[in-house]
Amino acid sequence: MSEKSLDLTPQSPSLKGRGSSPPSLGEGAGERSREPRIVAFFCTWCTYTAADLAGMSRMTYAPNARIVRFMCSGRVDPQFVLKAFQEGADGVLIGGCHPGDCHYQAGNYNALRRYTLLKRLLTEMGIEPERLRLEWISASEGDRVQRVMNEMAEKIRQLGPLHLEPAPRHVPAKQLEAVAVGQQGGAR
Amino acid sequence: MSTPEPKTNGAPKIGVYVCHCGVNIAAKVHIAEVIEFAQTLPFVTVAQEYKFMCSDPGQELIQKDLREGRINRVVVASCSPLMHEMTFRRATAEGGQNPFFFQMANIREHVSWVTADGHQATEKAKALIAAAVRRVAFHKPLEKKRVPVHPHVLVVGAGIAGIEAALKIADAGKKVYLVEREPTIGGHMAQFDKCFPTLDCAACILTPKMTQVCVHPNIELMTYSEVESVEPYDLRNFKVKIRRKARFVNEDTCTGCALCADVCPVSVLSEFDEGLGMRKAIYRPFPQAVPNIFTISRRGTPPCQAACSIHQNAQGYITLIAQGKFKEALDVILRDNPLPSICGRICTHPCTVNCTRADVDEPLSIPGLKRFITDLFPNYKLPQPAVERPEKIAIVGSGPAGLMCAYELRQRGFHPVIFEAQPVAGGMLSVGIPAFRLPRDVIKAEIDRLKEIGIEIKTNTPVGTAVTIEQLRKQYAAVFIGIGAHVERKLKVPGEALPNVWGGIEFLRKVNLEGPFKLGKKVLVIGGGNSALDAARTALRCGAEEVTIVYRRTRAEMPADPKEVEAAEEEGAKMLFLTAPKAILGNKETGVTALECLKMKLGAPDASGRPAPEPIPNSEFVLSCDAIIATIGQVPDLASLGGKLGIEMTKWGTFKADELTLETNMPGVFAGGDCVTGPDVVVNAMYAGKKAAISIDRYLNKVDMRAGREHEGPYRTEYAIDTSGTTVQRQIPMPAIELARRRTFDEVHTGYTQELAIAEAKRCLDCGICCDCRLCATICEAKAINYEMKDEIEEIVVGSIILATGFKPFDARRIPRYGYGKYPNVYTALEAERMTNSAGPTSGEIRLRDGSKPKAVGIIHCVGSRDRNYNSYCSRVCCLYSLKLAHLIKERTHAEVYNFYIDMRVPGKAYEEFYDRMLEEGIHFIRGRVAEVTDHAMTPDEEGKLVIRAEDTLIGVIRRIPVDMVVLAVGLEPQADADEVRRKFYISCGSGGFFLERHPKLAPVQTFADGIFIAGACQGPKDIQDTIAQAGATAAEALVLIDRGFVELEPNTAFIQEELCSGCKTCIPLCPFNAISFNAEKSVAVMNEALCKGCGTCVATCPSGAAQQHLFTDEQIYEEIEGVLSYV
Repeated sequence: MSEKSLDLTPQSPSLKGRGSSPPSLGEGAGERSREPRIVAFFCTWCTYTAADLAGMSRMTYAPNARIVRFMCSGRVDPQFVLKAFQEGADGVLIGGCHPGDCHYQAGNYNALRRYTLLKRLLTEMGIEPERLRLEWISASEGDRVQRVMNEMAEKIRQLGPLHLEPAPRHVPAKQLEAVAVGQQGGAR
Repeated sequence: MSTPEPKTNGAPKIGVYVCHCGVNIAAKVHIAEVIEFAQTLPFVTVAQEYKFMCSDPGQELIQKDLREGRINRVVVASCSPLMHEMTFRRATAEGGQNPFFFQMANIREHVSWVTADGHQATEKAKALIAAAVRRVAFHKPLEKKRVPVHPHVLVVGAGIAGIEAALKIADAGKKVYLVEREPTIGGHMAQFDKCFPTLDCAACILTPKMTQVCVHPNIELMTYSEVESVEPYDLRNFKVKIRRKARFVNEDTCTGCALCADVCPVSVLSEFDEGLGMRKAIYRPFPQAVPNIFTISRRGTPPCQAACSIHQNAQGYITLIAQGKFKEALDVILRDNPLPSICGRICTHPCTVNCTRADVDEPLSIPGLKRFITDLFPNYKLPQPAVERPEKIAIVGSGPAGLMCAYELRQRGFHPVIFEAQPVAGGMLSVGIPAFRLPRDVIKAEIDRLKEIGIEIKTNTPVGTAVTIEQLRKQYAAVFIGIGAHVERKLKVPGEALPNVWGGIEFLRKVNLEGPFKLGKKVLVIGGGNSALDAARTALRCGAEEVTIVYRRTRAEMPADPKEVEAAEEEGAKMLFLTAPKAILGNKETGVTALECLKMKLGAPDASGRPAPEPIPNSEFVLSCDAIIATIGQVPDLASLGGKLGIEMTKWGTFKADELTLETNMPGVFAGGDCVTGPDVVVNAMYAGKKAAISIDRYLNKVDMRAGREHEGPYRTEYAIDTSGTTVQRQIPMPAIELARRRTFDEVHTGYTQELAIAEAKRCLDCGICCDCRLCATICEAKAINYEMKDEIEEIVVGSIILATGFKPFDARRIPRYGYGKYPNVYTALEAERMTNSAGPTSGEIRLRDGSKPKAVGIIHCVGSRDRNYNSYCSRVCCLYSLKLAHLIKERTHAEVYNFYIDMRVPGKAYEEFYDRMLEEGIHFIRGRVAEVTDHAMTPDEEGKLVIRAEDTLIGVIRRIPVDMVVLAVGLEPQADADEVRRKFYISCGSGGFFLERHPKLAPVQTFADGIFIAGACQGPKDIQDTIAQAGATAAEALVLIDRGFVELEPNTAFIQEELCSGCKTCIPLCPFNAISFNAEKSVAVMNEALCKGCGTCVATCPSGAAQQHLFTDEQIYEEIEGVLSYV
């Protein structure tokens, strides 16, 4: 991590990775690692709220996706998607407000553009573009969260686990400490 | 702004607190396993569990660990951050740390409630906690920004919800803008008679509140107004544009005396009475309307008026005729037209071409109705000019163009002098049109009327010989040339100079000026225009035995009015189509003896769009005849004006005049009518005269002649009229003299009688609604009517907005099997509501359409509700109002009342008791959804009744209940434009289309947009009691904001790290709030954090990572991604 904190080049949060430890699936890995692993990037106003609604309505769905909350789908940097694949995700789901409904007017349109670009990029990289999905889900569409989560899990299961070249894994605690205490990596 | 210098609180010591949420989480997630896992995560010094972390003891756990230094950062794994993030941030702050050293893991909504398998739920919870721990280690201290809240409040919708909210806030001494799109406030509640379950009169409890709204010093009431746009004024407040729709009545001066509605001739269905009664075009929805101000319904200029070259207000006089207000109709006619008795006879009436009635059956006979009025008042007078001016204007030619120009100039105070070459005035009206279509005394009377108001006409004074244009230009302030087109075009065939070969106009002029003369037995008329028909019919009246019209195309291409063609045929004229003249045969002694013709066929369309006739070779044949009349068009007689005048000409031999102003190249000389356009119809010549008059007026006043003249002349209206349901009723033919008398010059058509005129006028569909008759303006003592009023946009700034836009009733037509719209005695509940209202269309009597009292009434519940085909939700109020209506109907008619219900849903204080009472009163309740309402009788007692077929699920049989009246308890739906409105206000709609609240239980009146609240049925179906409660809640929310005076904003704004910025400007256009600018000196982007709303789009797009977002830095998100993927 010390490398990282010193690394102020614009490409810093890149696919170069941020540690040196070998890939590890950590605890609870093993057989279960064959279950699809999905990262979901949801905007807080529509899709994240819809996921809350699905919960409140007790709609059970496939447990594979892990939701990361953003203020807006426009904040989803393409590198976050690549990062997720690099870190072992088999699929990435982006959820935003319906066209015309963005809380910030047009963030979801930017998400759509990046999504289109990413699809091509993933194809180039040898990753099936179906592993990335973009969905417009409004705050009232809890049932749609359920459906999309299930469909996505099923799709990824069909595609099987994503096998990328071994990539660097998570930051060892010591280096993390150095960042948090020392430089704080204000820049990054 | 650059990055705040990162403050550290020392090495991270993270406390992880896992909430059981009773059994909500603990029953699914293995808490102990999660705690054990959390203890292995980096920096975690404390991992604890508790039953309810959000409770005081739960929060105290965190605060104690913080205070005692065991931890300095907090992760709570519990419910959604949208629910309790604020709670735990506060706890962190109270523990002595910056509140942003906190992160939440959502293991309830996103884990325990949605995962079937306990093990999988536990693994998912672990992953989310790992991510939160990884992330919180990179959190930085942040400060919340305080933004002032503007103290003014906007309430949208003034039904009972909006009224209540507005009054509460205003009573607290705060300023409220109350916007309502209807002309009155009150909403649906104002339509009700009684309220459930107390049966108190709705008006008695509502109208005092309405009055209070009107007089409250803190409420600015804007009725008949709609919110146009809502924009951010600053980070927290709103700039709202409100459209004040033109009501055409001055709100300040109208006294609500209602005299205007008494005189208004236009009646339309009353929206307030649900179409059961009528209202006038100038109206107030109901007598207690607030404000007590009238409104005129105007859809715009009616299509007939728009299509008319001189914009004669046809709907105006037609409506007045239908009402028998003939004198008033005359006034309306004379407003636009000084020659109405002429136009009523011979105008080609372009108005009828656009008449909406033509979509149903046939257009109205607009000219016939105009003629009826002028015939009724043969001695009418033209209005005297209101001003006088010294200038004299010369007008050359006394045809319709010259007469109209003179009239319009005279009305503006000028003194026009008309120079006419012929011995009679009127131009083509007098010399070209035969007397059987336009009697001479009619023309004379019109011209005399013009003379009476001071227009001088010099007949037998040809300009060019008696006086020259040059002289006129010297002696008069301006000159208008309207000499028409009187020179005949030549056939250009051999023999044209033979005796008894006539030009059409030449022939008509001779007959008109000198009387009929003998032409011969067999007459041929060449041409297909109106002049050809006039010539043919005149020839018949001159004693010709056989008149044949020879036309080179077919009937379909004839430019003449089809009615005139029919009339000519009736009178015995023959038609020979696809025939063109080749040569005229005969000699000087015998005159013409025959016409050699050529057969034609139709070819490709020519410039006029009609198929061009092409000769068929070797198809010559000969028609014998005694006389030939050639009517193939005319050109202006420019030579008569005295040779070269210096006025520019066109290649067609007409004057060249500016299209917009009609000015020629000679300053002060204007030209219009047939001498500019070539032969055209009377009304277009009048239009040219009027246009020239406007130009001359501007010319003499030295005003821009071109500005603002787009709407002169004919145009098409932009609105469509729904003609469905209009009964077919064809145009009433105008009475005419019998055929035997049509060998004289007596006028053929005799005009409508009073009865016929009224019947014909009643066919009018009131396209413009208000007919612009202006009777209301005449009667209004306060002079409050203003027809020129335009919509206005008002702009206000507010800090809070309360939406109370209400609902719309389900459209019962969508369920055809219930027969609404098919059987007259099937009513919606709101219609029944209006009938029970003593101020309603039936004065409170429950009546069938035939006026009789019903003996049995069926009320069908859940119409459009609890039905997957329409709305799956329960509309909540239908059971309640159905009970009320059942009671009222029983009370007033003693009818048997049957309620068909699925479930009786009457929870509420005194609600069930009311239901019990109804059972005791003998109302019948049948449990089961109704299959259909039919008039198909199967037994004698069903004859003439409506039969309700339903399953009685309590006894398990199908029942058929014959009734006289059916009331459909329609459900509540979102307003038709709810989606448009919610976009305007940046809020969301829920599944049924109603506005979405922030939290169904904890924040039922808040929305996801800060400062915007929702009250009443726009949030979901609810009764008046609940609506009032919600309205109060929104008022409280608004008052909280005003009282505190500020809000704290989430510090999730973006910032630019200057040292990393490459100045590429990619971020700048992406920011929807214009928060980013460019510092050219340093070549870096500059973030205005006061404008940033924190979406992070710029951050995601920055190629160099210079843009970052507080709370969502790249670093924090990478940690979170790694976290969710690393440990499980």
